[in-house]
Amino acid sequence: MNFALLVLFLFGILLLLVLVAVLRDTPKLRRPNADLGYAEDLDRRHVNFFPQVKQALAAEDFTFLASRGSRALAQVAGKERRKIALAYLACLRSDFLKLWRLARVIASMSPQVGVAQELERLQLGLAFSWRYEVIRIKFIFGFAPLPELGSLSEVVSRLSIRLETAMKELGERAALTAKLASSLNGRGLDTP
Amino acid sequence: MSSFPPQVLVLWACSALAQLIVVILLFSKGSFRKLPFFTVYVALNLCQAVFLVIVYSICGTSSETTKSLAWYSECVTLVAQALATTEILRLALRPYQGIWGLAWRALTCTSAFVVLMVALTTRGDWVTAKWFELNRGYHLTFAAAVIACLLLIRYYSIQVPAAYKMILGGFCLYSCTEILINTVLQSLLKKAFYDYQPIWQSSTMLSFIVVLFVWVAALWKPLPVDARQATPPSDSIYQRLSPEINERLRELNEKLLRLWKMEARPQ
Repeated sequence: MNFALLVLFLFGILLLLVLVAVLRDTPKLRRPNADLGYAEDLDRRHVNFFPQVKQALAAEDFTFLASRGSRALAQVAGKERRKIALAYLACLRSDFLKLWRLARVIASMSPQVGVAQELERLQLGLAFSWRYEVIRIKFIFGFAPLPELGSLSEVVSRLSIRLETAMKELGERAALTAKLASSLNGRGLDTP
Repeated sequence: MSSFPPQVLVLWACSALAQLIVVILLFSKGSFRKLPFFTVYVALNLCQAVFLVIVYSICGTSSETTKSLAWYSECVTLVAQALATTEILRLALRPYQGIWGLAWRALTCTSAFVVLMVALTTRGDWVTAKWFELNRGYHLTFAAAVIACLLLIRYYSIQVPAAYKMILGGFCLYSCTEILINTVLQSLLKKAFYDYQPIWQSSTMLSFIVVLFVWVAALWKPLPVDARQATPPSDSIYQRLSPEINERLRELNEKLLRLWKMEARPQ
C-alpha cells in the first residue's frame, strides 16, 4: 500500500470512528433543555472561594506553622491544603464548563452566529483546558502555582464578559422584535 | 447478466427489494412529503438498477459503453444523495438559523479541504482509474462534510430526531465503507482489479443493503412533527434567562476582576 492510499485508508477509518462517536447518544442530549439548567446552577460558583484558597496556599502560613509547630505539621497541612486546592480547581473547571455550555445554548438560539466569536470561544476552551491540566499536574507534584491559578480565573472572567455582551445583544434583539410586532399589531387595529 | 456470479445477483436482488421497502414506507407513512429529495434519491436508485439490467442485457457486462453508462447513472444518484442529505440537515437545523449558517460554512470549508486532499493524493495516476478515483473522492468529501455538520450539531447540543440521525448516519456509513473498500481493493489488487470485480461489487452492495435496513428502521414510524413547533420560542427563553444570567455573570465578573487585580498586585 503506497503512502497516499494509506492516508486515505486511515482517513476513512477516522471518519468511521468519528461517525460512531457523533451518533452515540448522551444523557445530556436526551434531556430537553438540559443546558438551560446550567443557568439555574450558576448560583453555586466556586470561583468565589479563590481568596480562601490563596490564603491556604500562602508560603507565610507554612513558614509560620513550621516555626511554631514542626516541619512535619507543616508538611501534613500542606498536603491537606493541596487536596483542597485540587478540589477547588475541579470546581473552577465545572464553573467554566457550565458557562461554556450556556454560551453554546445562547449561540444556538441566536439567529446569527459569528464564526470568529465561536472560534474565539473554542480557543478559550482549549486554553482553559491546557492551563487546567498544567496547574493540576503542578499541584499533584507539590507546587503551589498561584499566578497560574489567577490566570485560569481570568479565562473564566473573559468568557463571562463575552457572554454578557452576547446576552445583551440577544436581549436588545428580542426587545426590538417585540417592539416591531406590537407596532405592526397596533397598525392592524387602527386599520378600518 | 449471466456473467455475474450468483452471489452478486442475489445481493443485487436483495438491494432492490430493500429499496422497494424504503419507497413503500416513505409513501405509506406520508414521509415523502417531508423528504421529497430523499424519496427521489431512493427512487432513482431503483431506476438505476432497472437501467443497469437493460444496459447489461443490451451491451453486455464488460464493454466500455456499459461501464461509462453505469458510472454516468451513478453520478445522477450521487447528486441526488447530496441533495437528500442537505434536505435532512436543513430540516434538522431550520429552527437554528445561526447554526445553519455556520453549518453551511463548515460544509464548504470541509469540502474544499477534502477535495484538495483528494486531488493531492490521487495526483498523477487518476486518469487510468478516473471513475474509481472520482467516486472515492466524492464519498470522502461527502462523509467529511456530513460528519462536520453532525459534530456541529453535537457541539451545540441540538436535538435531532432519531430518524434523521439514522438517515444521515446511513449515508455516512455507506460513504465510509465505500472509501475503505475502494482503497483496500485498489491497494491490494492493483492491476488485477478487474479480475476481482465481483468482490468489489459484493462488498459495496452489502454495505448498501445494511444502510437500507437502517433506513427501514428509521422510516418504520412516521417522521416527527416539525422541529419548529417542538422547539420553544427562543424569544421567551431570552426574556426569561437574559436578566437572570446577566446579573449572575456581572457578579461573577466583578469578583473575578477583583481577584485578578489582587493577584496582579506586587507582594
